[in-house]
Amino acid sequence: MNVESRKKALRHFFEKVVGPLGFKFTPDTELVEFLLEQEVILEGRHGIPFCPCQPLRHDRARDMQIVCPCIPFHRSHFDAIKRCWCGLFVHKDVRDPDTLPQLSPKEAGLER
Amino acid sequence: MSDKFTRAISVDEIAPGGMKAVEIGGNEIVVCNSGGRYFAVQRRCGHMNAPLDMGTIDGPYLTCPMHCAQFDVSTGEAISGPVPANSGHETPPPMLAAYLQNVGLLMKDVHTESIRTYATRVEGGWVQIAL
Repeated sequence: MNVESRKKALRHFFEKVVGPLGFKFTPDTELVEFLLEQEVILEGRHGIPFCPCQPLRHDRARDMQIVCPCIPFHRSHFDAIKRCWCGLFVHKDVRDPDTLPQLSPKEAGLER
Repeated sequence: MSDKFTRAISVDEIAPGGMKAVEIGGNEIVVCNSGGRYFAVQRRCGHMNAPLDMGTIDGPYLTCPMHCAQFDVSTGEAISGPVPANSGHETPPPMLAAYLQNVGLLMKDVHTESIRTYATRVEGGWVQIAL
């Protein structure tokens, strides 16, 4: 399969999911291209476009929670840091993703 | 491809996001309405010949109903092969593992080919296709 065509298709499908959740693709287009390419590679290997920045644990229940876009499964954390873990998606109001702090759930006050 | 257009289907018969199969001159063709734009592609999937009109279309992307191979109806390009039966997350029961292994052997030489597209135009409320 052609990687560029698949990236374009993933972008089409993801936009429909993340938009209603209040997110958009990061304005960093180079990062978007890179991460989508990694997802195409992961999809080719596993049949599923997993999050490229998270490890697979070979535990179906946990791995299904890192299928991109994984926003619904980690909503509270992503809302706190205004981005997803790998930075592919950011809140719609974010213009400069480089200024966003990268906080763990504990640092964001979500865990004690 | 000739530029002789043949009347295929009334535009009223396919809602946006819909598809319908037609047969013209022995060719099985799916006419797709992608947001008001009409595309025509071969009816049989480039993977295992499933009828694509039974699948779904989202934008220009048509998903096969059988194994979820995907195609871009504007170009006919295969953009994704079939979804694997087992993504490797869990060890299947022995009987199923043996079955999946046999299926894997049978399927290893089956590739997903791009599908044929046909030029379309709308005239007088009809979608016309060039065969």
